[in-house]
Amino acid sequence: MSANPEPPKAPAPPPPPAKDTFTVIFDGRPVEVPKNLNLIDAAKLAGVEIPHFCYHPRLSVVGQCRMCLVEIEGMPKIQAACTTPLKDGLSVKTTTEKVRSSRAATMEFLLINHPLDCPICDQAGECTLQDNSFGYGQQLSEYDEAKRQYPTFDRTPIGPNVIADMTRCIQCTRCIRFCQEIAGTSELTFLDRGGRTLVWTHDGGPLANEWSACAADVCPVGALTVRQFRFRSRVWYLQKTPSICPGCNIGCNNSIEARENVVYRFLPRLNPDVNDYWLCDHGRFLSESLNLRDVSKATWREAGAVRDLPVPAAVDRIAAEIRGAIETKGAASIFFLGSAHLSNEENFLLRKLADHLGCPNRDVVVDRGKPRKIKSQKGWITGEEAAPNFRGAREMGLTPGRGGYGLEAVLSGKSAPDVVIAADAEFGAAADDPAAVAALRKAKFLAVAARRSNALTRAADVVLPAASLAEKDGTFTNLQGRAQKFERAFLSKPPVRAHWELLLLLATALGWGDPDWTPAELRARIAEEVPGYGDRPESELDGGRLLKKGDFAWKGAL
Amino acid sequence: MDPVLTARIAKPGSRGIDGYVADGGYGAWKKVLSEGWTPERLTEEVKKSGLRGRGGAGFPTGVKWGFIPKDTKGKPVYLLCNADESEPGTFKDRLLMEKDPHQVVEGVILSAYAIKCRDAYIYIRGEFYDGARILEAAVAEAYAQGLLGEKIFGSAYSLDLTVHRGAGAYICGEETGLIESLEGKRGQPRIKPPFPAVSGVFGAPTIVNNVETLACVVHIVNRGAEWFAKIGRNEKNTGPKLYCLSGQVNRPGVYEAALGLQLKDLIFGDAYGRGMKDGRKVKAVIPGGASANMLTAAEIEDCPLDFDGVAAKGSMLGSAAIIVMNEDTCIVDAARNLSKFFSHESCGQCTPCREGTPWLHKVLDRIEEGAGRPEDIALLERICNQMANGMTICVFADAAIAGPLSSVKKFADEYRHHVENKRCLVGPRAEAAAVTV
Repeated sequence: MSANPEPPKAPAPPPPPAKDTFTVIFDGRPVEVPKNLNLIDAAKLAGVEIPHFCYHPRLSVVGQCRMCLVEIEGMPKIQAACTTPLKDGLSVKTTTEKVRSSRAATMEFLLINHPLDCPICDQAGECTLQDNSFGYGQQLSEYDEAKRQYPTFDRTPIGPNVIADMTRCIQCTRCIRFCQEIAGTSELTFLDRGGRTLVWTHDGGPLANEWSACAADVCPVGALTVRQFRFRSRVWYLQKTPSICPGCNIGCNNSIEARENVVYRFLPRLNPDVNDYWLCDHGRFLSESLNLRDVSKATWREAGAVRDLPVPAAVDRIAAEIRGAIETKGAASIFFLGSAHLSNEENFLLRKLADHLGCPNRDVVVDRGKPRKIKSQKGWITGEEAAPNFRGAREMGLTPGRGGYGLEAVLSGKSAPDVVIAADAEFGAAADDPAAVAALRKAKFLAVAARRSNALTRAADVVLPAASLAEKDGTFTNLQGRAQKFERAFLSKPPVRAHWELLLLLATALGWGDPDWTPAELRARIAEEVPGYGDRPESELDGGRLLKKGDFAWKGAL
Repeated sequence: MDPVLTARIAKPGSRGIDGYVADGGYGAWKKVLSEGWTPERLTEEVKKSGLRGRGGAGFPTGVKWGFIPKDTKGKPVYLLCNADESEPGTFKDRLLMEKDPHQVVEGVILSAYAIKCRDAYIYIRGEFYDGARILEAAVAEAYAQGLLGEKIFGSAYSLDLTVHRGAGAYICGEETGLIESLEGKRGQPRIKPPFPAVSGVFGAPTIVNNVETLACVVHIVNRGAEWFAKIGRNEKNTGPKLYCLSGQVNRPGVYEAALGLQLKDLIFGDAYGRGMKDGRKVKAVIPGGASANMLTAAEIEDCPLDFDGVAAKGSMLGSAAIIVMNEDTCIVDAARNLSKFFSHESCGQCTPCREGTPWLHKVLDRIEEGAGRPEDIALLERICNQMANGMTICVFADAAIAGPLSSVKKFADEYRHHVENKRCLVGPRAEAAAVTV
């Protein structure tokens, strides 16, 4: 038996907490990056640009374009960054002569058969090939042979929304992978092989899935372009404004691309929680409907004639009618109708006005639409409402108050208001339904704000000219409960005003509110008064980041 | 050396199973089962034999088998016999498959047993219609005799073997291209890693071995690893080897010899090529199929035809397809021919290869047709150097530049003559009138 008892063991030091980052050395500079990133994204995070074509963060890695070549310490040959697994201590060199010449080689190979006619290509200005050529290519090529042509596969519609031009294709397969891996429809494939390889549909059928224009979005060159936008505008003339798709209640983050007060297209904004990099064709092609307008003046109808009048005078007239109704029959003789197409701020104003007047009769309705689907990072989202903000309008309090009634009671004739204020003439399909309009018209006075005329505007006593989505600021609350901001792309042409401006004019005429309030100030009031809106993070309000066609990242976004 | 792999090919009825069994065929398989060899013992035996892959890369076969993970996580292991013999100048596997198919089948069975594979495939190139038919018949015979199928000879081992025809693409001979094609996809090589031994066909561990390699396994089991290792030039290059001799020699064909046969012996030996046709001189030799660098007449002196011997000369043994060109061969025309093949066969996924191979062909075509320019020679070298060494996913591009680049370097004078005189230095078009451009 040993006389010396073992000294008590010191407790083992706790193991160092497992790092959730790797240290990657970019050109001698160590940078901590998350473990699950692709090397191209890790480099971007570190502020190092690795040019590429075929890599896309939401699509499988194929390593085909050979543009993202880098040197990796310990590896004799040049490596494609996109296929190099990240690991701790990885040392990446992106500025060596070998890297420079290899990238220049790939650029030269890509350009030898590419028609160098950027001036007549619709992709110019947002073309990754153009950008990388300037950044990593060389001015001259020794290629002096005939360029490859694809008769019958050039400038040809490949589906209802996409024009394909295989002479411009660089065979990066992003579109093929989009259709396989995101849309799940697999229309596109490689045909033939080697220098004759081309992308087309398997059976010559159409590229016609619900997101087909996204195949053109991911195209880094002018091989796939969107039919509706093609040759409409040079992209460098377009101004990008963050907005929200009005097509359904998913609330996809998009950007309005406009020039001189005309909307040319929507592009997706990257929001992994909502629409990720994608937009459905239905929502995308609503863009041009924002340009439609046939109500551009305030009008009032008296003794069968329709006359123009200034907007403030028209608002005063509405206020006078409301005051008159309150004096004779009380506030309960008025009906306020909000809209699932209007912002939270606007619906909030309408509800506050009704509260101020003591009117319990207010409502908002929504049409069931064809279900729209979009693939977020967490999975598919389905939107079944045909308007973007029914949830928000409800949460702003547009439901009948105590003793009040809603739209259904008015349409069925159970309730007969003397004055009907419809904040949006396009509140739903009912606005074009003669029976519904006749029911609303039973009121002695009917006032609406509108951009496009319909049965309701034709029946109304006063019509106010209201702005489009592109002409105002606000927030929509999507089906997830996310309040997302859209911004004004351009000012409306006077006398057209935003709905919130018109409502604020009316409210102040009736003795409530401050004429100087802005949507931001209204938002602050919503945050104070509406449950659940108090602590919305700025990031949720702002939503996704702007993208450009062909590229997946703009301003360093991941 | 007595023929080993080709011992039976000249016999009448060499294809049938009866003749094969009468010659001791399937003895190796019965030996493994009756003596209770473990798969590990079989693998060890192949490792000891020093057998290196006969398909082109020369990787030690036993070592390759050892790359299969110990724990396959419930996934099956696959053995694919690469019978997509499409390297220009190579026709040895075809001989084995068409003349002695049961030797191939037995090699597949033994190797499948060694890697614990229950499902093996022979991927045969689409053009080998006869080979596929013959192999299918052989496989059916083997099933009928109980050599394949469920619980073979009452053991616990079951194996299914399927003959699968490709659709005719050179790139499907590259092992990951083969795997994609077998899965029913477009034949395009995959990014490595993961290597097939870890994740191959259908995402499961996979070994791809050449026909000749698998045939060798039969004889290693029959006669022992020591016997096999004694054949050959040294301990790194062991065993019998089939050489495909073609070009302007007196007796082209497939010859079996110990690995390390001298190139000159193959061309001039009485047992082999019996010298150059019409007594012309050797100008250049491609020692390992279209993917190998050309050797000049001086370089074929003391060139043992094994993996290390040819590598020491700056080329490779590859599939042991020796293509001999005589002094009347226009080297530009030869390079043009090679480049046309590779331009046609590039799968098209990687930019440098998809764009580079047709460019190379166009420039060589122009020089050969008398429209070359002095700067074209430097251009050729530049295009080649821009395509290879890691620029692409697989080594196809490296193979595609071998012929053109080695010819430009070794026969620069001839290229220059072409460019300056707008016609060939030698051959039928040497005297043709200059082409005006």
